[in-house]
Amino acid sequence: MPFTAKSGKFNASINTVTVGTGDKAIKIGGENVLPLYSFDAAIENAPKVGIEITDFGMENEPECVKKYYEGCTTVADMVKKAATFEGVDFISFRMEGGDPNGANKSTEELVAMLKEVAEATDLPLVVCGSKNVEKDSELLVKAAEAVQGKNALILAAKEENYKAVGAAAGLAYNQVVGAESSVDINLAKQLNVLMTQLGVNAGSVVMNVGTAAAGYGYEYVASTMQRIKAAALSQNDAQLQMPIITPVASEVWGTKEATQAEADTPEWGDQEKRGIDMEVETAAADLACGSNAVILKHPVSVATISKLIKELV
Amino acid sequence: MALKGLDIFKLSPKKNCKECGSPTCMAFCMKVAQGAVDISACPYFSEDAKAQLSEATAPPMKTVKVGAGDAELTLGGETVMDRHEKTYVSKTRYAVALCNCMDDATIDAKIAEIPKVDYERIGERMFVEAIYVNYAADGQSDYVELVKKAAALNRVLILGCTDASVAKAALAVCKDCKPVLNGATAANYADMNAVATEAGVVLGVSGADMNEIYDTVKALEGLGNKNLVVDTTGATVKETFANTVQLRKAAIKDNDRSCGYPSIVNLVKVAKDDMHLQAALAAVLTIKYGSIVVMQEMTYAEALPLYGLRQNIFTDPQKPMRVEPGIYPLNGADENSICLTTVDFALTYFLVSGELERSGVPVNLIISDAGGLSVLTAWAAGKLSSSSIEKFWKEQDIEGKVKNRKLIIPGKVAVLKGEIEAKLPGWEVIIAPKEAVQLVKFLKDMQANGEA
Amino acid sequence: MAKFVTIGERLSTTAPAVNKAFLERDPEPILKRAKQQLDAGAVYLDVNIGPAEGYGPDLMKWAVQLLQGEFDNVPLALDTANMAAIEAGISVYNRAKGKPIVNSADAGSRIEYLDLAAANDAICIALCNAEGIAKDNDERMGYCQTLLERGLEHGMEAEDIWFDPLFLVVKGMQDKQMDILECIKMFSDMGLNSTGGLSNNSNGMPKHIRPIMDSALVAMAMMQGLTSAIVNPNDLRLMETIKSCDVFKGNTLYADSYLEI
Repeated sequence: MPFTAKSGKFNASINTVTVGTGDKAIKIGGENVLPLYSFDAAIENAPKVGIEITDFGMENEPECVKKYYEGCTTVADMVKKAATFEGVDFISFRMEGGDPNGANKSTEELVAMLKEVAEATDLPLVVCGSKNVEKDSELLVKAAEAVQGKNALILAAKEENYKAVGAAAGLAYNQVVGAESSVDINLAKQLNVLMTQLGVNAGSVVMNVGTAAAGYGYEYVASTMQRIKAAALSQNDAQLQMPIITPVASEVWGTKEATQAEADTPEWGDQEKRGIDMEVETAAADLACGSNAVILKHPVSVATISKLIKELV
Repeated sequence: MALKGLDIFKLSPKKNCKECGSPTCMAFCMKVAQGAVDISACPYFSEDAKAQLSEATAPPMKTVKVGAGDAELTLGGETVMDRHEKTYVSKTRYAVALCNCMDDATIDAKIAEIPKVDYERIGERMFVEAIYVNYAADGQSDYVELVKKAAALNRVLILGCTDASVAKAALAVCKDCKPVLNGATAANYADMNAVATEAGVVLGVSGADMNEIYDTVKALEGLGNKNLVVDTTGATVKETFANTVQLRKAAIKDNDRSCGYPSIVNLVKVAKDDMHLQAALAAVLTIKYGSIVVMQEMTYAEALPLYGLRQNIFTDPQKPMRVEPGIYPLNGADENSICLTTVDFALTYFLVSGELERSGVPVNLIISDAGGLSVLTAWAAGKLSSSSIEKFWKEQDIEGKVKNRKLIIPGKVAVLKGEIEAKLPGWEVIIAPKEAVQLVKFLKDMQANGEA
Repeated sequence: MAKFVTIGERLSTTAPAVNKAFLERDPEPILKRAKQQLDAGAVYLDVNIGPAEGYGPDLMKWAVQLLQGEFDNVPLALDTANMAAIEAGISVYNRAKGKPIVNSADAGSRIEYLDLAAANDAICIALCNAEGIAKDNDERMGYCQTLLERGLEHGMEAEDIWFDPLFLVVKGMQDKQMDILECIKMFSDMGLNSTGGLSNNSNGMPKHIRPIMDSALVAMAMMQGLTSAIVNPNDLRLMETIKSCDVFKGNTLYADSYLEI
């Protein structure tokens, strides 16, 4: 008697969102099966992998990442270099220096740098803010304007600033809008509702539902993503059918596993390997739970996750 | 797995004879489903139908125990697909592979390496719980000797061996530690079954694809052996993932008892020598239904995130993870360093301790017993209050252990400042920012101002 | 669990304006009422063309094509005593948004409606009643069994038979109300879907009372496991209650704007 698996294909599907333009544009989402279940039905758009570069350039990067960018002097150089790494589908530029509690760089300075980044690559662009909601409601608006025509993903509008960021990115400058909540499934849905009520096309919204590094409360991330995918597919909830992007790099490279020097904990062994494994294991978990795209930092992580996706989908 | 009245009704005689005391067969089936009546009250239910129903009400997935004594592990017994539906009961276990195809030096090096990863994380011991001992017919070292060496590590052994006579010889030296004999295939299952049954060990079933595996499981069940695990490793990563998910799905969602066995996934076969890919796959299989995941090696690099992930995924959604209350000196803090207190909710602890460590400022992190709740929830529930802090200070003799008299409290419970200062005379209470991420700057500023 | 399925009841020959529009094949009043109901959140629309002897098939085809053409293949419940009209309607029906519903079979003279639904792969409302009003739930469940067996014999999936306990008017049959609610629980325990003309309960009551009674009943019935109802979707209180109950039951994920979507 042969094994008969019932198909887990749903009648509903995740929205397909295009980021970028031209040959290099990527499509994320579109599947009508649970994450990575390509045995239930073909997954049209495999999850995508991006690499993160920040406005600090080389300055704040871990040593093990810096060595891959040897010879780069500007952020634009780094972007060009990053585009050559194996498995990079898109560039994510994080303007973390904009945080008023940090370097507090001006919007003008950051936007000027963003323009250089945009000119340096034809890969799709994800533009991340400073994490400060007030600053971002100005910074991301200007950023959306600066990269007009690039069909970039502006990451992200939050509950506090969705009107400013959503209207600029989604309506005025025709970009893709990221809707960010923090492991709160009801808020994730609410933001999508608000965004569509604002007039943003549901097909131009991507969610960042929050993440954590593996081991750091990841159960909330797992259940949030899994419940969102279940509602989107089995309950056909249109307000949760937006694909999910997960910034992994900014979460994992600050953990003890990645930052503790080998000299301080010799039994833990090679620090670079620890950082990479923290990044790939977190990213792999994100993909298994429902992320349609992940943002990573280390080129080896990018290559590994890209290979994982090719093997699975 | 609870049956709906409809499932029972479909098998019922549908005679409406009323002999059971119910007006209709449908009413009777409903009562059976609720457990109000036993099915034997109906004289006309066929034996076959009863057998089908008793099968359907059995747990969807077998609970299988492997290993002996301290090393015993429980596998399987799951009832839901996703952790948020209820909870997972048996966590994924990780094994490291040895093979008699390796030379002695490699084997000894690996055996010396395995016990190195052994640490505690939130009350749970993290270590390599199983050793996969693979047999290659053309191997260069003696398999039975290898099994003996591996057994000395006192972990669960998994004998990856499809040769019945070799398996028998190996079991002769290790059967008391209740290893898994992972070696039944379509070609040898009868012989392997005899060997496994005689030794009283769990038998692992593998095959070219799910059809072959399924047939072999059915054949073994026909021989009366349900003490099984299924090796879902396929020819490729894709097949392996598909097999592992399909097996669990058929067991839990489609009630196919012949799929209700724990899985063994051997990553050495599908991602040999690519340790980062193995790490990624181990994470995927921790979330998606690997019962035992076999890896080529397990250093701290793979282990730290993987065991942490497992601890998260397999925590009971109804019970928050808690850390042990007490004083945690960070960044080389001593009795003269400033104190900061928060709750024992594991996520809060990790967030706060992470930021504190990033600040580099020496701090005594004091975790009080707040019932494992987050700051605001604990405060609302009365588990984080000036009285709870006062009580904790006394129980732990904080004042005897720390000389510094500055205490930083969570920004979200700023209201407690006055009450705490009243109850802890001599202490200066300082209010932290509301979000953990702001702690780095906050503490650095305090340090710069000579306050910390 | 799936969301509660509302079937909008306002396209009915019992409304004179609708009746006139059906007879004159006048699209405008039909589309207007249909739009009002869909805007208010109706999932299915009931198309009740009355007995429609003779001209039924033509009228039903016209109505199905009109409504599905205008409203993106809106799923419909075909409601008439004329079986040929139902078949004609299904012959032009587009299933993109859901199977057609045959409204309705009962355990008496209308049992063949189940056969019709089975032959056309449609959902069928199965009224657990024969002649008169069932005296108790033993009788109702007897009908339920008859109907279920009939459907299964003809190859239907149990989930496509939506059992109707027959909601009764409070004024006059107040003592039967808890029976009906218990009956719904029995359907639910069996694993069966259910529906019904819920607003029957408030027939004859003052107009301002009806939404209150209907909302209370729908909440109680959803607690018992009711999966669908034939309702007036333009009753805001009722629709808000249904959406709220869907949240409590976990049929939909809560968001602050849940009433607006």
